[in-house]
Amino acid sequence: MVPYRTQVRIIADVLSTARDMNNEGNGVGVTTLLRKGNMSYSRMSKLLSELVGSGLLLELNGDKISKYMISEKGIQFLTVYYQFEDFAQSFGLRL
Amino acid sequence: MTIIGDVLQFIGVFVSFSVAYVAFRGVRQTQSSSLLRLATAFVFLGFGFAVEGIVGLGQLIPALPFPTVAVVAGLVLETTGYFFLAFSHAIDVMISKRMTVALLMFPVITLSGAQLIDILSVLSFFFVLYGVVETASSYIRTRKPDTLLITAGLALLSVGIFIQWLSLLYLNVDVLSLMQIIMKETGLLILFTPVLRFAVGGTRLDGTI
Repeated sequence: MVPYRTQVRIIADVLSTARDMNNEGNGVGVTTLLRKGNMSYSRMSKLLSELVGSGLLLELNGDKISKYMISEKGIQFLTVYYQFEDFAQSFGLRL
Repeated sequence: MTIIGDVLQFIGVFVSFSVAYVAFRGVRQTQSSSLLRLATAFVFLGFGFAVEGIVGLGQLIPALPFPTVAVVAGLVLETTGYFFLAFSHAIDVMISKRMTVALLMFPVITLSGAQLIDILSVLSFFFVLYGVVETASSYIRTRKPDTLLITAGLALLSVGIFIQWLSLLYLNVDVLSLMQIIMKETGLLILFTPVLRFAVGGTRLDGTI
């Protein structure tokens, strides 16, 4: 059975994809985020707007499509998230 | 109960509120319901240990008689804490086979004790035992050393609660009271490990990102 993902888990997944897949420094496209994030396009679009709005992601406007890059604030969020995930896992729990 | 035992209860208060503090910060940062249940569990445990410690020390002063209701209130708080601790896992497993087996075993053991304090001790034992099983099962999945440590801590806690229950049956054996509190406090100190890791890691716990 696929474990239920909370909203904060989904945000962490999207941010970590934006961080890890940004090998060339040009940002990550929506297709990559969709594939790794495992969610619908409409839901991803809404989430990306929220993450850009809250400053966790940076939107890089290209010629045709937008690409996304994790911000410093996003990196801080991931660091804190993983520490609390570690804390929860110590007690045998999932965030 | 000895004075040492009563004083040791306050180690439990410190550990419980420390774990609750970190868990509540986690709730603020991540909105995690699992962490909320964990924090709630340790708040109840903290207040439970505090009431038991105060009642224990208060009994040393004849001018300050604590009624039985205070003793029961402390145990109710503690048992509620163990309930939340056990059910922190509920979102993952709901009513699993392990839970069914635990619940089926429960009436057999409660038949031996009719008093409320007996029942609360037995309930606490089952809740913590369930927590031990779930945490051990989580360790099997994740192979995380900290999870194994917490399993050991919860196991010691459950042994302590079991001895506490025995001490109610064998009132003349003083050593049981001291043993149960030492086992419980050692178990709780082990549960403090993840909090220490936070302190050493220097995680900012104030405000949200």
